[in-house]
Amino acid sequence: MRLGRDSFAGLIFLAVSLILLVQSFGLPQLPLVPVGPGFYPRIVLIFMAVTSAALIVQDLLARRAEPADVPAPAQPQRAYGLVALAFVIVALYLVLLPLLGYRIATVLFVAALQATLERPTTWRQWVVLAAIAIGTSAVTYLVFERYLTVLLPRGSWTDW
Amino acid sequence: MFELLGHGLLTVLQWNYLVPLFAGTLIGVIGGALPGVTITMTIIVILPFTYGLDPLQGLAAMTGVYVGGSAGGLVTACLLGIPGTPSAIATTFDGFPMARGGAPGRAIWLGVWSSFFGGLLGGLFLILVTGPLAAIALQFGPWEYFSLFVLAMAMVAGLAESSFIKGLLSTAIGLLITVIGTDPIGSVPRFTFGSEFISGGFPFLPVLIGIFAFAQIMSDIEKARAPKTPEAVLTAQPSLGVSLGVSHLKVIGEILGRPFLLLWSTIVGILIGVLPAIGGSAANMLAYDQAKKLSRHPERFGTGIPEGIIASESSNNANVGGSLVTIMAFGIPGDAVTAVMLGAMTIHGIQSGPLFVSQQPTLAYGIYAAYILAHLLMVLILAAGALFMLQITRVRLAVLAPVVLVLCVIGAYALNNTMQSVYVLLIFGVFGYALVKCGFPLAPLILGLILGDQIEINLIRAIMTDDNPLLFFTRPISGALLLCAALSVALAVWQHMRHQARTAHEEAPEF
Repeated sequence: MRLGRDSFAGLIFLAVSLILLVQSFGLPQLPLVPVGPGFYPRIVLIFMAVTSAALIVQDLLARRAEPADVPAPAQPQRAYGLVALAFVIVALYLVLLPLLGYRIATVLFVAALQATLERPTTWRQWVVLAAIAIGTSAVTYLVFERYLTVLLPRGSWTDW
Repeated sequence: MFELLGHGLLTVLQWNYLVPLFAGTLIGVIGGALPGVTITMTIIVILPFTYGLDPLQGLAAMTGVYVGGSAGGLVTACLLGIPGTPSAIATTFDGFPMARGGAPGRAIWLGVWSSFFGGLLGGLFLILVTGPLAAIALQFGPWEYFSLFVLAMAMVAGLAESSFIKGLLSTAIGLLITVIGTDPIGSVPRFTFGSEFISGGFPFLPVLIGIFAFAQIMSDIEKARAPKTPEAVLTAQPSLGVSLGVSHLKVIGEILGRPFLLLWSTIVGILIGVLPAIGGSAANMLAYDQAKKLSRHPERFGTGIPEGIIASESSNNANVGGSLVTIMAFGIPGDAVTAVMLGAMTIHGIQSGPLFVSQQPTLAYGIYAAYILAHLLMVLILAAGALFMLQITRVRLAVLAPVVLVLCVIGAYALNNTMQSVYVLLIFGVFGYALVKCGFPLAPLILGLILGDQIEINLIRAIMTDDNPLLFFTRPISGALLLCAALSVALAVWQHMRHQARTAHEEAPEF
């Protein structure tokens, strides 16, 4: 029988809860506290293991009850590649943030994500994109750094 | 009490409080009007701005967002048939037909004034009930607190729309996140695998921002290339020709002429608000359903009648008052929005809970005053710019998404000026998105995350006071709360089984 998405999720959470449950027994006991630091996590992990197992069972039972040749309902068009790309751009932003500093990294990030989500086709659109990127970085920098005294990351490469 | 409220009103009327309150209400109305942007996301976006403000300024801004956001969704709901937030879904049922039937001004203003009256009644409840509830909460020992938190989680998991088991598992995931790091009694490292990165545990706000804001933005990006729906095409059309002129006295008369409907919808909104982590999305639907059931002409609902708009809009704003009661009396967030508010209070070193009103009366009555004034500001903002809101809803995702993500990053970074919180944000952004794609409800996870530490501390404190575990059941309030939790779970299981049986019956071939 093929496992469904819920079964996969249940298996992952079951494995995590069992691994951590084993670890919880290795936690040291404190002298003055009647229950150790592993007592409460064990309750949580047992609860998690039971619910994960229940999810797997529920999914398997639902799949068994399903007729074999039911065509899957039509799914609306989803741009999962775009989501993955967006996550990669965010990750790159976070890598560059301490290196280039908030101002430069933010301009690059806003420009890159905009261009990825809606690629400009004319030079005018490129100018608007650049203006939004520079504007976002400048306005947020001024508001947070100058008026709200929130310190934003400085770049170790640029000192900006 | 009223003297303190008067003092609170005078305080919040000073420009240094009024400006953040106005800005919060305006941003809330805009965020509420933007389809795909929830009130939670709006409050997350303004969170970093509150770090540099004093506690009352920050909380006034957040209260403004909450009140404004609860009303903002009605503009697009009535004029475009697209609810700006889930809190305005039921408003579309009658608001859109009424607007399409040639009375857009009446539809909008029935919504605005219903939000105003519902919100003020919710505010009255907030002011009158928070104190007595906090006094009751003061009688609570660790057993009662533990049982109250268990009840809160049981209810939220049980109310999860997708699956009861997924709701429970989501709660467990939230609780698990809180046990990673150091234990709260002896500071023993737990499940850190020797890593410095998680030695202090996961900070609450970056986790919440990641799970909510990232998951929402990425879900919107996912649909970016989908063919335009008829509603989206409609959004792109100009709407400046629409006139929203209306006799306000007549509209107010229409609302106040249905006192029972207004009162009942408000009560539904308040009660949903008091129940932890359910929120305005359930309040407006339930109030609409109640209004329809209690009506002498239920068949007319959905055709553009005022009752539908009044029920939906009065309940979702009353819901805000109810949610604030829970956070101020018990320190339990009523929904994700109040969870962010609770986090913001913690940043400023304020402990919310039963002692909050008595120990911080200036702040507490300042919040009451901000709540009341936010309703007045909300009316003024919508009077000045309801049509302008429609123009704002056309901001492209390509512009909105990077700006929101930048504000999320600032919100996480500025917590303690380290990149660690920002990395946590990304990790939980990916994790939250994966959970959403697997159909896990996020509200139980957030509640588990917020209450996890408190549950552990109260459990250990109860055991340290008296190691008899039966006390959780034999102490009257604690026992009653645990019984309610068990009943809540049993009811959810029964409803789930009944739903399964009904579905199976409907699908079974007839012989």
